[in-house]
Amino acid sequence: MKFAHLADCHIGSWRDPKLRDTSTLAFCKAIDNCIKEKVDFILIAGDLFNTSFPRLDNLKTVVMKFKQLKDLNIPVYIVPGSHDYSPSGKTILDVLEEAGLFVNVFKGNVENGKLKLNFTIDKKTGAKIAGILGKRGALEKAYYERLMIENLEKEDGYKIFLFHSGIDELKPKEMENIISQPLSLLPKGFDYYAGGHVHIVDNKHIDGYGRIAYPGPLFPNSFAELEKLERGGFFIVEDGNVRWEPIQIYNIFKINKDCNHKIPEQIKNEILDEIKNKEFNNTVVLIRFHGTLESGKPSDIDFKEIFTYLYDKSAYFVMKSSHAVVSKEFEEIKTDARNVEDIESFLIKEHLGQIKLENLSLEKEEEFIKNLMRILITEKQEGETVPDFERRVREEVSRILEMEL
Amino acid sequence: MLIKGQIISGEFGRIIARQKSGQSIEIGELLIADSNDGKILMQVYDLVYGSQISQQNLELISGMKLEENTEFELFDANLRNYMLAMMKSLVTIKGKNAFVSKSLPSFFSEVREIKEDDLSFLTKPKNPMFIGNLRSGSKLLDVPIYLDGEKVFSHHILIAGTTGRGKSVLVSNLLWNAVGRDYCGILVLDPHDEYYGRNRIGLKEHPHKENIVYYTSKNAPIGTNTLRINLDIIKPFHFDGVVDFSDAQRQCLNLYYKEFSDKWIEAIILEKELSIGKVFKDDTMAVVKRRLLYLLDLEFSNNQLFCNGIFQLNSGFATINDICQHLEEGRIVIIDTSNFSGAVELLIGSLIANEVFNKYKIYKMNGNLNDKPVISIVLEEAPRVLGKEVLEAGPNIFSTIAREGRKFKVGLTAITQLPSLIPREILANINTKIILGIEMKPERQAIIESASQDLSDDDRTIASLDIGEALITSNFAKFVTPISIPYFEDVVKKTLKGKEEVAMEFSELG
Repeated sequence: MKFAHLADCHIGSWRDPKLRDTSTLAFCKAIDNCIKEKVDFILIAGDLFNTSFPRLDNLKTVVMKFKQLKDLNIPVYIVPGSHDYSPSGKTILDVLEEAGLFVNVFKGNVENGKLKLNFTIDKKTGAKIAGILGKRGALEKAYYERLMIENLEKEDGYKIFLFHSGIDELKPKEMENIISQPLSLLPKGFDYYAGGHVHIVDNKHIDGYGRIAYPGPLFPNSFAELEKLERGGFFIVEDGNVRWEPIQIYNIFKINKDCNHKIPEQIKNEILDEIKNKEFNNTVVLIRFHGTLESGKPSDIDFKEIFTYLYDKSAYFVMKSSHAVVSKEFEEIKTDARNVEDIESFLIKEHLGQIKLENLSLEKEEEFIKNLMRILITEKQEGETVPDFERRVREEVSRILEMEL
Repeated sequence: MLIKGQIISGEFGRIIARQKSGQSIEIGELLIADSNDGKILMQVYDLVYGSQISQQNLELISGMKLEENTEFELFDANLRNYMLAMMKSLVTIKGKNAFVSKSLPSFFSEVREIKEDDLSFLTKPKNPMFIGNLRSGSKLLDVPIYLDGEKVFSHHILIAGTTGRGKSVLVSNLLWNAVGRDYCGILVLDPHDEYYGRNRIGLKEHPHKENIVYYTSKNAPIGTNTLRINLDIIKPFHFDGVVDFSDAQRQCLNLYYKEFSDKWIEAIILEKELSIGKVFKDDTMAVVKRRLLYLLDLEFSNNQLFCNGIFQLNSGFATINDICQHLEEGRIVIIDTSNFSGAVELLIGSLIANEVFNKYKIYKMNGNLNDKPVISIVLEEAPRVLGKEVLEAGPNIFSTIAREGRKFKVGLTAITQLPSLIPREILANINTKIILGIEMKPERQAIIESASQDLSDDDRTIASLDIGEALITSNFAKFVTPISIPYFEDVVKKTLKGKEEVAMEFSELG
């Protein structure tokens, strides 16, 4: 048995025009590799798309790749992730599943208030796959808490559990602030736990469970991820052996500039000096500034000149992070949060309970707010008329609020 | 109005009342003397016999009965023999207010049984923490006793009592009532694995169990965490008060930490060389290595390090941070330490306590401490870290918290049956003491001498406390309050009565 395990493709995640198609490109490359490797099937552990309604051009490319897999009789099994699920259950994933392009394995029924998952059996290999989707703010935890595990644990054969959640015991130091859940919520006795959500490459055998693996994103999704991971990848699992297959789209060049006791002009000159003998073909350049300037403000650093110089040397894309550089007179307000989602979560939690409504618990209120935010952040799709867009948003909101709008 | 006796003599702090015949008065009983100015609430702390017959005649009467079997009857027996109750004044009640008593009740005032109405001055504080019901002697009153949880937890709590008197039940109740309260986060180091209720009724039954986080080293029940702590997180100072390293051994730890940073433990075990060359004797290195291997349950084989216990090389990076985060969000974190030695339990406590304390110090510096809940650390057998002998070797994080914690909203809930082992200075810093029955005089004395209110006459009261009976002395209580601790199972049943689990929809199910 040979299968591929992808996660966190986040198609459509980058907004800058130069990187907008990168995640799609990485996805295509990964699928091509899977075909070349002649895998029996492919797992995608959530966040195939960055939103529940992706851009049509990206969608078209992805559909073509799925069609190619279908024609080659390579089935794909997925679970929705925290980015591409929808509280109403209606996403582009449903459309693609209806079209027979993949199977969402979050399947089952509710028995006495408990969630009973069904296995999806891969016809070719007999592998039995079950899984639970990921939701924003790790709200899927409530599903795990109500999960019937006996049927899952008793089942014989080669079993795969597909999930999109961070695990408390396994998450790395730099992700200590992401919301995760305890390992004990996963059903025991599966051969392979195909994880997503946490953008790390990790693969461990845990006693009582089996192999728990996170392949990381197919292409890094932020400056910090590009800096840390440099490239994305996925796992190929063959007869129990796990191999990480990197996906290289661009080269990465990192500049880490210590600004302590330096003036803006000096910093610029040092960087220009550092890069003068280098070429940057097909390279994404990342410049991180940190420290306290001797004089002047961070905005006095001539970023434009540095960027122009790098683009003249054929850099594909240049990015900077200057939030950690401060002038002597100014101390930036710091937050523990690592990403927008965390900041949103903290702010929501801080303001919970201000509106008193009967039967509205804090947990429910938090879920409401997160779901509403998720809907209201949706953008009008290409080809979608304003009335259609408004109707779509209104329908989603009324579903959440369980009332006619 | 049930008259129990009449005040006949005494002095301030030792008021003597003659018991009315047919009535019974118990040690610890609360009695009221009414006056025109209000009511004086008194508590009985001793009982003696009184008689109009001389001692010589009493002995003669007894001799005639015992030795010669003579039947006799006393005329006006109720007038001749009686009980005398020694009482102390607790507070003077005027309307809904109560003040420290500064005058004696009138001579020949009648003393009566207390009624619930008399106690209307006992109001619910801002952050109510239920401790138990008021008790008058052994009689339970329908008057719940609340203290301000935020103040009480930050100014430390001592729970003292002999084994079997109800310390665990009391702690279970305190934790149960603190679940879901925004004002406090509580860390429980649980050496007997008794509070979560893995195999019996426990906190896991709470309707807001999402606010309880349980860490255990083995076979974590569904939804709970397996305790894993990464070796990189441990610093040499975490061993202060936990392991008694010699000066040379401590220097060794510090030098390795300075040179190898997070990887210092691995460096010692793998015997990596320091850049300054060989500084320590082979014996010192060997002892340090052996002690670390044993304490952290590590194994060194084929030049490789293996982790057998909770301290790990490749997992548990975020555990301590997660625990602090839970506490800061007002949750109760229970750590099952029943599988560990005392030193490992205290090392875990030290790791978390240091992190919490340092974070809260920063919050205070940044001016946002008021937005944070108070954090209390529940320590069983507290003298292990707060004992005189331990502290002679130097301070540790727990003694620091005992001394300075209240400024930073971090407190201790220290549980012990031997309070006398804790230095007086630390005992005095613990503002709230919940005292259960203690048989040993030196232990009672240690508590009496460091109490927030005058307990000098309560030695017998403390000695006579039955299972589930306690006294609260606190800066935040109006008087030394006798309470009865309810059975934990009853508290759970009462809370859960009529509560049903909310049905959940799985709308995204394919």
